[in-house]
Amino acid sequence: MTYKLYNDTEFGNLSGVIQTLGSVKKFIPINEENADYQKYLEWVAEGNTAEAAD
Amino acid sequence: MALTLHGTVADNTAVLSRPNAQPLIINGDMQVTQRATSKTGITGTTMEVQDRFSDVMGGAGTWTQTSDTDVPTGQGFTKSMKWDCTTAKASLDAGSVFSVRYIFEGQDVQLLKYGSSSAEKLTLSFWIKSPKTGTHILSFYQYDDARHVSKAYTISSANTYQKVVCSIPGDTTGVIDNDNGAGLGVEIALAAGSNYTEGTLATAWAAYNDANQFVGQVNCADSTDNNIFITGVQLEVGEFDANSIAPFQHESFGDSLSRCQRYLYDPLRGSASFGVLALGACLSTTICRAVLSAPAEMRTRPTIVTSGNLEVAGDNFSPAVTSTAVGVRTGTQAMEVQFNVGSGLTSGEVAIVRRDNNDTAQFRLDAEL
Repeated sequence: MTYKLYNDTEFGNLSGVIQTLGSVKKFIPINEENADYQKYLEWVAEGNTAEAAD
Repeated sequence: MALTLHGTVADNTAVLSRPNAQPLIINGDMQVTQRATSKTGITGTTMEVQDRFSDVMGGAGTWTQTSDTDVPTGQGFTKSMKWDCTTAKASLDAGSVFSVRYIFEGQDVQLLKYGSSSAEKLTLSFWIKSPKTGTHILSFYQYDDARHVSKAYTISSANTYQKVVCSIPGDTTGVIDNDNGAGLGVEIALAAGSNYTEGTLATAWAAYNDANQFVGQVNCADSTDNNIFITGVQLEVGEFDANSIAPFQHESFGDSLSRCQRYLYDPLRGSASFGVLALGACLSTTICRAVLSAPAEMRTRPTIVTSGNLEVAGDNFSPAVTSTAVGVRTGTQAMEVQFNVGSGLTSGEVAIVRRDNNDTAQFRLDAEL
């Protein structure tokens, strides 16, 4: 499983995190109510770092 | 209007006084399976088959979860959740755990009045066919204050459907926040290592202590012969027994699906190859943006989950989507999604986003707890 940050192509701000797990890709919005984003934050809190945005 | 009572008046208390208009537990009859009807190789916590029901798993073997037609006779159920053990864990690790979990939004359980002297008792009922006789455990967890309570019940005959009816006290201390986050969770335990069993079962609400959660739980993961079936999960406000609990509230498939779509929406559901996902506009030769509307307001701004091959089709073009679909402006009801292709779009033209010439592409909006 990998995480990569995603910047909005129109405004350039961080708008989400892309998770890749095998053939399944998830676009996770920056939203603390979202369970996938909560898991991402836990992953970061464990000392991991997402790949930088393009 | 004539009322028909079954048994005594007291035995019909639940029907007559039920404070909730719809079943508190969504999809308790296991009808809705938007993600898949079967998933092999499960070893960890996930939600793969029946909507709204996840497992909690670690160090408890490997399992296949399916939607099955093995149901208790004469109850009106047509589907059950089946767990088939494919790699056993006869000797559990300290941290081993396996349970089936359902989580309520906090705002949906405010009628319980937790944190007040009027906190309501609850009764959980379900049908289970367990491979093991003996003690099984139910556990309730209150997320906002990290409190829990557990209840033991006994399976008297292995591999035979048994209706379980268990009541728990109301929690007069912990307050469930009135929001769309996780408020109350229910777990039906199936295996638990010593980390969860070495204490004293928490039969009254208390601060969470894992050692007191599943004390006495038999190990349903000890053999690849083991199959577990669960259906008819219902939660009632109040204290009831097997005689007095209300009948299961059967919902139509459409109603149940609609309620599940607050947590997961699959716009490609029921479509085949070239199935249409959304209508959009081409912003350039490589970018198409489309608007998607959910049929019900989703719990929160959702994750976009994709796999397989989509394409953007218009007048004389249909290039394949080449990168992850991303949300541009997402809400809980409607969202703008960007699809990138290598080349070939005509800027300014309308286009549809659809499956390519196969029916395997998936696109889901996921707002589960």
